[in-house]
Amino acid sequence: MNTSGLNGVMQNATALGEKSRACLNTFKAWVQLDSSNLSPGQQLSVKYFIVAVILFFAQILFGMLAATQFIFPGFLYEILDFSVNRMIHINAMIVWMLYGFIGCVYWFLEDESGTDIVGLKLGNLAFWVLTGAVTVVVLVYLLVQIGPGKDSSLWLINEGREYIEAPRWADIGIVVVMLIFFYNVVATFSKGKWSGIAGVLTLDLVALAGLYVAGMFYMTNITHEQYWWWWVIHLWVEATWEVLVGVIMAWSLMKLLGVRRKIIQTWLYIEVALMFGSGILGLGHHYFWIGTPEYWLTIGGFFSALEPIPLVAMVVHAVYDSGAHAFKNGNHPALAWIIAQAFGNFFGAGVWGFMHTLPQINMFTHGTQWSASHGHLAFFGAYATINIAFFYLAIQHWRGDVWMGGNSQNAWRWKWALGLLNGGVVGMTIALLIAGYEQSFIERAVEGSTWGGYFAAQNHPSFQSAMNWRWFFGLITFAGLILLIWDLLTIGKGETRKAPIIPVEE
Amino acid sequence: MIEPVALKDFFITFFSAALIIMAGGSYALLFAWSKVNANFRIKIAAYVAYAVLLVAVILLTRAAQFQGYWLIISAAMVIGYFFAPIGIWHLCVKTHTDPHYPITHKEHQE
Amino acid sequence: MNETPLPLWASESFWKKTAIWVTAGSFLILVVLTFDSLSQTSAGGKRVPAYSVINKKIDYQYKEELHKFMPVIGETELLFGKEYTEEEARQLVDLGKKTTQAKNCMNCHTLLGNGAYYAPDLTKAWLDKGWISKDVREDMMVKFLMDPEKNARTFGSNRKMPNLKITEQEAKGVVAFLKWMSSIDTNGFPYNFKTINAEE
Repeated sequence: MNTSGLNGVMQNATALGEKSRACLNTFKAWVQLDSSNLSPGQQLSVKYFIVAVILFFAQILFGMLAATQFIFPGFLYEILDFSVNRMIHINAMIVWMLYGFIGCVYWFLEDESGTDIVGLKLGNLAFWVLTGAVTVVVLVYLLVQIGPGKDSSLWLINEGREYIEAPRWADIGIVVVMLIFFYNVVATFSKGKWSGIAGVLTLDLVALAGLYVAGMFYMTNITHEQYWWWWVIHLWVEATWEVLVGVIMAWSLMKLLGVRRKIIQTWLYIEVALMFGSGILGLGHHYFWIGTPEYWLTIGGFFSALEPIPLVAMVVHAVYDSGAHAFKNGNHPALAWIIAQAFGNFFGAGVWGFMHTLPQINMFTHGTQWSASHGHLAFFGAYATINIAFFYLAIQHWRGDVWMGGNSQNAWRWKWALGLLNGGVVGMTIALLIAGYEQSFIERAVEGSTWGGYFAAQNHPSFQSAMNWRWFFGLITFAGLILLIWDLLTIGKGETRKAPIIPVEE
Repeated sequence: MIEPVALKDFFITFFSAALIIMAGGSYALLFAWSKVNANFRIKIAAYVAYAVLLVAVILLTRAAQFQGYWLIISAAMVIGYFFAPIGIWHLCVKTHTDPHYPITHKEHQE
Repeated sequence: MNETPLPLWASESFWKKTAIWVTAGSFLILVVLTFDSLSQTSAGGKRVPAYSVINKKIDYQYKEELHKFMPVIGETELLFGKEYTEEEARQLVDLGKKTTQAKNCMNCHTLLGNGAYYAPDLTKAWLDKGWISKDVREDMMVKFLMDPEKNARTFGSNRKMPNLKITEQEAKGVVAFLKWMSSIDTNGFPYNFKTINAEE
């Protein structure tokens, strides 16, 4: 390469760097956020939140592309095929939610332990390593997409296993980063003080990281491979994630509503007992049809019937608490999203889960849009909502604990974002429910699940109009997300009233 | 051994399964509400919700053709959904008991 | 501070212990069941046949006494006109399995009903009537995998599989993998599936 060309490239790169720095500065001046309001741990935490929101955006964007391909199969054909869009859609979701959870933990780690974070520098380094790795993985997904049927493809490109497609090198990186995170949590609590919340969090993180390892191996035997794959997927989203949310909620309720620690911790243990008691063996409902023995039909059926019990417990407790605390609350958007979480979790996980979980009916709903319907409402209801609620708590503190109760400026934004996001997801869920119902009927029951039967169901007018409606409600969701991001960036800007201080009873 | 749902019973299966969870949730909600507000109508509504749950369990049991030990699931739902809210309510009361922390349920009414 | 004694069942320590015991107990049961399930489903067992099953005829029929559809393994029916030893069969199926992962099949198709819902289920793909007749099946499958655009099978949907640059050897591996997978006992899923062997 000749030097003048190189110089040109260098000049361009410098110019580009300066331009982006200028843009960043303009942006910083516009958002007017003062990071001196945040503790060092919280400054790390908001980095995780920022990436989480960016990945949330990517999730919806690629979801829209995939939804478009259901209507126009030629759209981006052999450029960004459905498989690529769908992979990024679900991967971005898993990763943004994990980023959100990690951010939440860093947010309250200092407060809960009563000391500084031990390995803050290491934590910052881990953040940049993880974010760099995620960027590389996504670029490879987009640009390389697939490889030959060799081990090297699984190591470098993608593992081709739904939800945990990340190539092996990234798996190892994720485990290392999780270990650093785990070290920070344990070492900080050890230096400061332990609590019931700290104990549950630590054990849950051990399980979370340990389970991921169960999904890192290649196996020729597909029954064995799917057996372990479900260990990761199910025991994450229906056990360890739920407990992690329980921990985050426990700390938030203590701070938000001033509930006593003893009560909070007792209830956290009750939740753990109910969730792990029903969720661990609830794994059985994924072992109906993958070649595993018949006793899983009974175990899966029985424990699936138990899985709504923790939800019932929450309903009762919520009513009890609403009597005990008159909901004096200085952050309305956060509270609204927590209420959305209660409903979303109940309907998404409880009602939508139980509708198709018994093997007698799952024989016909397995592998259809039923799962997509349930997945959309349950993931959004249980996990997206709680993360968004926490984003609002974080931004309130970042702005210097300003008022976010009634009569806030531009309150229409968060209200409309709440309405559009929830309405959009519910609309998609119902459209997919109709599609799944039709599929279980025509493809599975009438046509006996042949390829001809599959396409007969896909070509049916009711399925096609369901896909159109799903696209429409996807757009509503997208609009809600854009409004949400705008609101998160601007809420509380110029607000001078302070949030009320909630006394915590010890 | 399972007997797959017959084609004609698909709708009733989905519907009754959804109804079990929703009636179970409604019963829990109304039961808890009847504890903080001694209005007998709320209590009656709670038992109506439970009656709906009972009917839904029977419908599901028939549609999903439960037999033998599968009937244990039906029984577990009928018993579990009735007693779980009661037990959890008692837990709420007992875990919150503290002389320094009087609970004023009157506040609940707007 | 005058302590009101809490009943045991409402105390923090009681629920702490309960949470630990319930979690440990459930997990222990899961571990025991995992050992049992893995040994019952290792290749070569009753539920998951040995890889050399690709040398045999495979069918899927309703068994009255078992009350479910079951794979039926019949007499010799060679794949690509070759009899594979157990090790050769394992290698070929392994190549096919690895190819399905490297090509990200699971984000359009379902395998054993798990995956995405943009393209048909592959669990019993080997037995599907879509391959017209047993004489042309193998050839059609390999050609389709290598150039799905030209050999498109869209069933009137306009959805076409993209060209994934699958080599001939990889395509043969995928076919072997699909044949082997169709012989797994999946507890009667899919229900009422009519195979390519069934009489019209």
